Amino acid sequence: MSKEVEKLVKKLRPNLSIGEYGRIFTDTTEFMKISYGDVIKLQGQHYLVLRDEAERSFGIEDPKYWVKRCIHLESGQRKILKLVFYEKFDLKLGDLAIPCYRSPRKEARILELVRGDKRFMQGISVPDSKGNIVRILDIVSGKRLDHHVFEIQKGHKDYFFHDFPGILEKFIDSCRAIKFLHDHKEIHGDIRRDHLWREYQSGQYVWIDFDYAYEFEENPFGLDIFGLGSLLIFLAGKQIYTGTNLDQLLDQDQVDITLEDKDFSLLYKNRIVNLKKLFPYIPEELNLVFMHFSQQAEIFYETVDEFLQDLEPCIGLIKKEANNEL
Amino acid sequence: MNYKKILVAVDASENARRAVEYVGEIIGSSPDFHVTLLYVIRYAERDLFPSEEAWKSKKRQEKNEAIDVLDDLYNLLIKKGLEEKTLKKELIEIEDFSIAQAIMDYQQKKGYGTIVVGRRGMSKAEEFLFGSISNKIVHYAKDCAVWVIE
Repeated sequence: MSKEVEKLVKKLRPNLSIGEYGRIFTDTTEFMKISYGDVIKLQGQHYLVLRDEAERSFGIEDPKYWVKRCIHLESGQRKILKLVFYEKFDLKLGDLAIPCYRSPRKEARILELVRGDKRFMQGISVPDSKGNIVRILDIVSGKRLDHHVFEIQKGHKDYFFHDFPGILEKFIDSCRAIKFLHDHKEIHGDIRRDHLWREYQSGQYVWIDFDYAYEFEENPFGLDIFGLGSLLIFLAGKQIYTGTNLDQLLDQDQVDITLEDKDFSLLYKNRIVNLKKLFPYIPEELNLVFMHFSQQAEIFYETVDEFLQDLEPCIGLIKKEANNEL
Repeated sequence: MNYKKILVAVDASENARRAVEYVGEIIGSSPDFHVTLLYVIRYAERDLFPSEEAWKSKKRQEKNEAIDVLDDLYNLLIKKGLEEKTLKKELIEIEDFSIAQAIMDYQQKKGYGTIVVGRRGMSKAEEFLFGSISNKIVHYAKDCAVWVIE
């Protein structure tokens, strides 16, 4: 078997040097057995496995054995192959635990729906020899948007008036992308900071990872909209503020701020949502959008349209305010 | 609208049962009222299941449970004194997202003057994320009274 892979690699990618030649897999059911040096063969195309992808949270690497980083031997392009892994787990959001299902079927359908739409990761899905739906994804050449924003070397005021309006414009376009999914009765399902990326070359924001599915609820879009709200608050603040990290983050003359429960997130009880208390130059209208995600909220956004109706005018307001402030 | 034509929206929850008990207590054997128990069933999506068979089996199970719930609540109202000729049970299956909308559509189409729903205690966060059938009906129902039973 090793010889077969070696022959294949040398034929298709003669300049590629790898340390170990493994086996050829046409059935990906037992994805744990597929590792570095193996080749996944799908509909006549060959994908050499380089490694398992991993998710990093709280400094710990969590390997995703069903997600393989590969080289497509015929083209030399790097690809990510997501193999079929059904699991049900509780998605923790603050104190809530929501039953969540990993659905290759859903992700494959959305990939088809968003083909050619730059606001989403691109890819195709093909069945392996056992009918497992393998998703072959293009790699987004960029970095997480939250990391990009956090690393902008400016104080908040400077960032808010100079950089944020442009970021907000693009973010609104990302929200419209989510509305596009909702209009087609689909949800993203996992809108978190690490699932919106910014491409290096074009600066385009790109949503990734659509495989989370849920049991139906009366408002199927609530979860996505809450995700958009949390992301917006991060982008406006340039980072997360909690009751405990304030004095390290703000200027000394700003830290004497009285915070109440209602200033914090509805779900993440330690995250400050009422950013106007920290940065008084934030327009009231924008802060009101944030407050829809706070513990004091009585009215919630049910659609992306409602959210955008309030958010879109804020770009002009910030630009106007910038002329007065700077 | 005929307010004595009452649509009681039910499911397998305890709060739905409370709503039915309330209706039974209020109406008892009064002959002027017509009551329909409506169970709107929205099946789990195919996406959640690895195979077609697993999905179909779950759907069968959900439907059987709904039929059992309807029978049980129907009998409860009979025990409370309602007569069979004034009582109906109905199961409808939907593919769209909103159960509340299906209940309101049914009410409009069949001319019910009262909708009765149970409400379970929901935190604000849950309401944001999942929505509330009873709240939606309170906000959007037309040409009828709405009873919300906590």
